[in-house]
Amino acid sequence: MDALNGLMDGFATALTPMNLLYACIGVILGTAVGVLPGIGPAMTVALLLPITYNVEPASAFIMFAGIYYGGMYGGSTTSILLNTPGESSSVITALEGNKMAKAGRAAQALATAAIGSFVAGSIGTALLVAFAPSIANLAVKLGAPSYFAIMLLALVAVTAVLGASKLRGFIALFLGLAIGLVGIDGLTGQNRLTLGIPLLSDGIDIVVIAVAIFAIGEALWVAAHLRRRPVEVIPVGRPWMGKEDWKRSWMPWLRGTAYGFPFGALPAGGAELPTFLSYVTERKLAKKPEEFGHGAIEGVAGPEAANNASAAGTLVPMLSLGLPTNATAAVMLAAMTGYGIQPGPALFEEHGDLVWALIASLFIGNLLLLVLNLPLAPLWAKLLRTPRPYLYAGILFFASLGAYAVNLQWFDLALLLFFGLLGLLMRRFGLPTLPLIIGVILGPRLEIQLRQALQLGEGQWSTLFSEPVAVIVYVVIVLLFAAPYLTRLVRRTPQEA
Amino acid sequence: MVIVVAYTPDSSGEAALAYGIAEAKRRDAKIVVVNATRGDALVDPRFAGESAVGTVDSELASMDHEITQPIGPDVSDLIISEVERTGAGYLVVGLRHRTPVGKLIMGSVSQRLLLDSPVPVFAVRPPRD
Amino acid sequence: MTDSPVIREGAPAPDAPDAAAAGPDRAQLGLAALVAAVGIFCIAGTWNVQAGFSGVDPLGPRFLPRVVGLALIVLAVLLAVATLRGDRGEAEEGEDVDLSHKPDWMTVAQLAGIFALNIALVDFLGWAITGALLFAGVARVLGSRTWIRDLIIGAVLSVGSFYAFYVGLGVPIPPGILDGIL
Repeated sequence: MDALNGLMDGFATALTPMNLLYACIGVILGTAVGVLPGIGPAMTVALLLPITYNVEPASAFIMFAGIYYGGMYGGSTTSILLNTPGESSSVITALEGNKMAKAGRAAQALATAAIGSFVAGSIGTALLVAFAPSIANLAVKLGAPSYFAIMLLALVAVTAVLGASKLRGFIALFLGLAIGLVGIDGLTGQNRLTLGIPLLSDGIDIVVIAVAIFAIGEALWVAAHLRRRPVEVIPVGRPWMGKEDWKRSWMPWLRGTAYGFPFGALPAGGAELPTFLSYVTERKLAKKPEEFGHGAIEGVAGPEAANNASAAGTLVPMLSLGLPTNATAAVMLAAMTGYGIQPGPALFEEHGDLVWALIASLFIGNLLLLVLNLPLAPLWAKLLRTPRPYLYAGILFFASLGAYAVNLQWFDLALLLFFGLLGLLMRRFGLPTLPLIIGVILGPRLEIQLRQALQLGEGQWSTLFSEPVAVIVYVVIVLLFAAPYLTRLVRRTPQEA
Repeated sequence: MVIVVAYTPDSSGEAALAYGIAEAKRRDAKIVVVNATRGDALVDPRFAGESAVGTVDSELASMDHEITQPIGPDVSDLIISEVERTGAGYLVVGLRHRTPVGKLIMGSVSQRLLLDSPVPVFAVRPPRD
Repeated sequence: MTDSPVIREGAPAPDAPDAAAAGPDRAQLGLAALVAAVGIFCIAGTWNVQAGFSGVDPLGPRFLPRVVGLALIVLAVLLAVATLRGDRGEAEEGEDVDLSHKPDWMTVAQLAGIFALNIALVDFLGWAITGALLFAGVARVLGSRTWIRDLIIGAVLSVGSFYAFYVGLGVPIPPGILDGIL
């Protein structure tokens, strides 16, 4: 199917009144949870996984996409109005955004963030349309050895590149792989690690894991460290920008997009690095660099655009290869498997209608965000007054409901508590949650690819290197590991000289 | 002599503060500004941030004064315990405009203070605008 | 800000984070032990799994568990060594997280208790009741002091979700003791 035709069909699906409603709900819900402390888009999508039992896949993913983009938007609102950014990707926005707000320019900061997000999101989604189908086309032709190598790359990249400590990243990853092992082995039909409990034969439901790690673990962690002293919020009216602000913003938006999209599309790009690079670039290029640190609008416009463009970029590996590179994408893939849809390069061919509806809804969601949120900003700021007892009681309530609804058995609730406590431990010891979730999701697929590859290669390990793409990917993996040591070497040489 | 002002960064709190300042000057008393919060939400509009506290602090610069921001589950209890701690002679509270229904649902800190305060209470209403 | 305004916290005095002060983070050794235990479980738990036909599946179902198990054991050792050398994890930050206080494990234990109660009672009493109790209980532990209101909100949520799942999603949540009433 040709991309443009597919996209048109996608718009036809996404613009039905029902799906438009789902898009609206998703965008509003996403913004709300982005603003609310302690709850983010990954947790929200995880909590909403039960809707996959009865809602059409296209509608569900349209809503999830809205939550994904909306959450990004809500996060930037709080990082401007408060000085406590909720997510690492909006730390940079807070640098100048909060200074602007304190200097009485909150409306302009919010406006440049919102419009910049719209611009970056739209361009990013257009780039997604341009790249994802052709990448998928190439990937479909790859054999098991190459696909195994690519999945290995995704795991290693997410684990080794993101986060502060590689050791902790790999502990989280292998714990996730271990969780993924539980259940019946697909090829031999034997139970593994089930402790003789029949309920574990089907494996541990990904809904339970996702909700436990993201919702229960987070809620328990917050409960242990509850902030008592209220933080200062800057009152805000309706966001708007003057002519001068537009003039100073549009180039940073475009440059931010150029940073954000490729980093998001890489297996381990994330949003931290491109937002930081964008900030540094804008500071260097600014006509008045002395304004930086006191609320320069370029310092909000660029990083915010980079943030949203990277969100769009993240969907490239997710839709074309079935590889999630951030938490929300991981939970969305979990939802796909819940529908019995196998994520991977064949997605565009086998479920083209679904994918294109999802992509079309990203354009629509972006527009909805702009139209809805510019006037609603003061309302969102009010959400911050939600009393915590109700907020966290609600999170635990819906988390339990979602886990209970999987099999309608208390056993899943027990698993939820068990893995929730694991999530708490991980936060206490600084273990990143993303590698664990990705390990749970990709582990079983990785094992199947590996065993299939060796099956075709009649047990010869050399078969893993039989495809050129696989070899290239292994070289990249080695480089990823070696990169820090290489840069250290390079840096050390001039000092010694 | 000590005068405690139950302060919130809004019109009724400002009215209470203004009255408290005048009263403290007249009686040559120390003024203790109490800005209490339940602290159960990320943001509480009745909790004075750093800049608001700074403003109050500079307003009171010429006087013997103290600013406290206690946090606890019951705001009126917090204020009364500040009255007891400082041995204050008077308490100043600002009233806010509320409908009877609003009062029924939300409860009222100033009403609780009027009922529970161990010392005489000045109840100040902000100028209508 | 200067030190002029006296700011008194209702909560117990904040303890400065003792990052540099104390020696190695001993609790982290416990984590290392846990990781090692999971690793051993991966290997031991799949010891008796039968391999398939080697022609069809040369790698067999025991391979990956062994790799994962071995890796976990090695990582656990590395973590233990790193811990003894003074390595500490960076506890996760967040909007609602205040790391300057000592962690309040009592609250966590109470929440886990309420959760366990829900697990124990959900089959007998049904979600419509235990869900409401769960909501009110969590709100109480986290500082809400309005029992009646919390129970009403919880009941509305749990009964509402019962019908939403039944009617909207076609998932019949067992009614438990309220069978015939709901």
